Amino acid sequence: MSDPSSINGGAAVAMVGKDCVAIASDLRLGNQSLGVSNNFEKVFQFGDKTFLGLTGLASDVTTLSQVFRLKTNLYKLREERSIEPQTFANLVSSTLYEKRFGPYFIGPIVAGLDSKTDKPFICGFDLIGCIDFAKDFIVSGTASDQLYGMCESLYEPNLEPEDLFETISQALLNAVDRDALSGWGCVVYVITKDRVVKRVLRTRQD
Amino acid sequence: MSRTTVASEYSAEIQSTPIEHRFNPYSDNGGTVLGIAGKDFAVLAGDTRHVTGYNINSRYEPRVFDVGDNIVMTANGFAADGKALIDRFKNQIKWYKFNNGGKKLEMQSAARYIQQLLYGKRFFPYYVSTLIAGLDEEGRGAVYSYDPVGSYEREQCRAGGAAASLIMPFLDNQVNFKNQFIPGTDGKEKRPFEYLSLQEVIELVKDAFNSAAERHIHVGDGLEILIVTKDGVRTEYSPLKRD
Amino acid sequence: MPGLNFDNYQRNQYLASKGFSQAKATSTGTTIVGCKFQNGVVIAADTRATAGDIVADKNCEKLHRLAPRIWCAGAGTAADTEMVTQLIASNLELHSLYENRKPRVITAMTLLKQHLFKYQGHLGAYLIVAGTDPTGAHLTSVQAHGSTDVGEYLSLGSGSLAAMAVLETNWKPDMTREEAMQLCSDAILLGIWNDLGSGSNVDLCVMEIGKDANLYRNYMTPNVRIAKERSYKFARGTTAVLQTSVRDLLDVEETVIPFGQKDSDAMEIEA
Repeated sequence: MSDPSSINGGAAVAMVGKDCVAIASDLRLGNQSLGVSNNFEKVFQFGDKTFLGLTGLASDVTTLSQVFRLKTNLYKLREERSIEPQTFANLVSSTLYEKRFGPYFIGPIVAGLDSKTDKPFICGFDLIGCIDFAKDFIVSGTASDQLYGMCESLYEPNLEPEDLFETISQALLNAVDRDALSGWGCVVYVITKDRVVKRVLRTRQD
Repeated sequence: MSRTTVASEYSAEIQSTPIEHRFNPYSDNGGTVLGIAGKDFAVLAGDTRHVTGYNINSRYEPRVFDVGDNIVMTANGFAADGKALIDRFKNQIKWYKFNNGGKKLEMQSAARYIQQLLYGKRFFPYYVSTLIAGLDEEGRGAVYSYDPVGSYEREQCRAGGAAASLIMPFLDNQVNFKNQFIPGTDGKEKRPFEYLSLQEVIELVKDAFNSAAERHIHVGDGLEILIVTKDGVRTEYSPLKRD
Repeated sequence: MPGLNFDNYQRNQYLASKGFSQAKATSTGTTIVGCKFQNGVVIAADTRATAGDIVADKNCEKLHRLAPRIWCAGAGTAADTEMVTQLIASNLELHSLYENRKPRVITAMTLLKQHLFKYQGHLGAYLIVAGTDPTGAHLTSVQAHGSTDVGEYLSLGSGSLAAMAVLETNWKPDMTREEAMQLCSDAILLGIWNDLGSGSNVDLCVMEIGKDANLYRNYMTPNVRIAKERSYKFARGTTAVLQTSVRDLLDVEETVIPFGQKDSDAMEIEA
C-alpha cells in the first residue's frame, strides 16, 4: 500500500483478438483512499494503431506520456511515418532502463497493429523496462492480481472485435470492482485494420 | 539514534536504524480455498499444495475437512493455526453432542461458535481465513466466511487464501452475474440472479482453480472439492498443474 | 545522453525516507544450467518470469545470444540480464570486428564481469556463459558482484539446488551431444516441478565446435493448459456502454503533379 505505484491507483489491460487488439483502462485518480478525479485516462495514442496504457504514480504517468509524445513526434519527423508498436515497445524499454537506479513508478502496456501486416501486437513492462511479450493478454496496475484472475479464466483466442470488447470489458469491470484504488469509470479501445472504436463504459461509482 | 549499522550486503549506504531481531510465530503456507452455496447444496474446494517460500512441502495435504453434522470447513493461511482451529472445532462438536444427547449442530450455531473460537484469540490470532459450508435449517446451501479474528458473514460465494484476489472477481461475474446486463436493454436491465446447478458450479470451480494455478505460484498440484447435499458429504478430486 | 540517468534517484530516496517502499521489478526466480560434452557445450533454462507470487510471463526467453556461437542463460533481475546481455553482445561484436577474429567465451565473460563489478552487485544479473570459439568449448558462470566460475556442469537461480541434484547424480565425463541435452533438460525439469520460482517450458541451446549454435526454443512443453470446462464468451451487448466514438482509418493516396505539366503526364506516387 505504501509504495509509490499504488498511491494514485488505476488499472489497465490489453488483449489480442482475431485481426484486432483491445486496450482498456479505468478512469480513477486518487490520493490514497480519497478519489480525486473520475476522468483520468490511462490510455494514450502514439500513431494510427499504436497505443500505450500507463498505470502507476500519476505524476510519472503524465510525465512519461509527454516524454513519449516528444520522442514519437521526433521519430515521425525523422522517419516520415508514425511509429510501429514493436518499435515503440523497444523505445519504452530503453527509456525506462535508462532510469535503472531511479525508476519511474509505472507499469506500461503497449497494444497495436503493425501498419504493414496488420498483425496484432501487445506487450507489457516492469518499471525498469523488462519486456513481457505475450500472445494473449497483458495486465497492469493496482488491480493486476484481479485482472490476471479474470483474463486467465475469461480469455479465449481468436475473438471477433465485438466479442473481444465484451471479454476485455467484463474482465476489467469485475477486476476493478474488487480493487479499492481502481474504477470510477472505464474506457475501452478496440483497434482493427480500418478503424479504432473508443467506448466509455457504465460502471459502479463507489 | 546516532548509532549506525552497516547492512550485511556490500552496501555503500549506511543504515541509520539499528537492525531489529524478533521472533516471528507465523508463516505462510500458501493454498487457496473457495466456497459456493447453491440452491440445495454447497461446495467447499481447496488446492492440495502445501508450501513455504519457494519450496513445496507436500503435493497432497488436504485442507478442506468434513467436521461432521453435514458441515465442511477450511482454515487457510498459516497451516498450523488452521489445523489447530479445525481440531478444536471438531472436538467441540463432539462435546456438544455428549452434552445435548447427540443433537445436530446447525449451520448458524456452528458459524457463531467459530466466531467465539477466533475472537478468543483476539490478541494472538489464528492467522487464517476460515470458510465453512453446509445447508441451513431450510435445506438451502450456505457458506460462511471469517476474518482472522472472527468477523463473519453468510455469503453466496467466497474465495480465500493466496489466490483469493484472482478468483473473487471471477466469482462475482459468473455466480452473481455482476456487471452483466441483458443485451438489447441498453445496459438498463441487469441480468437476473439464478442459482447454478451442481454440475455448473463444479465446472466453474475447476476453471477458477486451473486459472489460479496458471498465474499464482502457490496454487497447484491437486484440487479437492467437498460437496454437501442433504444426502451427506461427497469428495471429488482432480489434478492441477504441478509446476 | 548516453549511459544511465540518475535524475530520479534523489526523489526516490526521499520517497523511501517518507516510508514509501520500493516497487518490485520482475525477477526471474529461475532454473538455468549448463553442461559440457565431448564436442561442445549445452545450456538450458525454464521459461517462467515472476513478480512476487504472481507469474508475469509464462513463456519468457532466458537464453540470450552474445555472439553467434556464444550464448548465455540469465537469472536474477529480468531487465538487468536482458540489458547487460545486449550491451555486452554489442561490445563483443565491435571487438571482434576490430580484432578481425571470432569472439571468444573468455572475452565475453571478462566484459561481463568487468561491467558487473563496476556496478558493485546493483545490477542483479547472474549468468551462465557458454559457447565455442577457436580455442574450444567453454562453460563459465558470472555472479552479480563480478566473480566468475568455470566448470564442467553448472546451475544457477532459485532452482539451482534441484537442478544440481540431477547434475551431480547423472553427470559423467565425455558425454555425447544427446546425453548432454538429456541431462540439461532433466535438470531444468526438476527445477520446474520442485522450485516454485521456475515453471512452464524448457529452452535449450547446443553449441558444437565448428558448427553453428542450435537454439531449441520450447524444447519441452510439459505444462500446456488443459481445455476449460466452460466457455466464457459473453452475448454481445452484455456490457453497458455510455458513449461510443469511431475513428475510421483511411488509406491515403498521394498524387504529385509537377508544375507546367498536363494532368495526363502526372506522376503517381502511392503512399
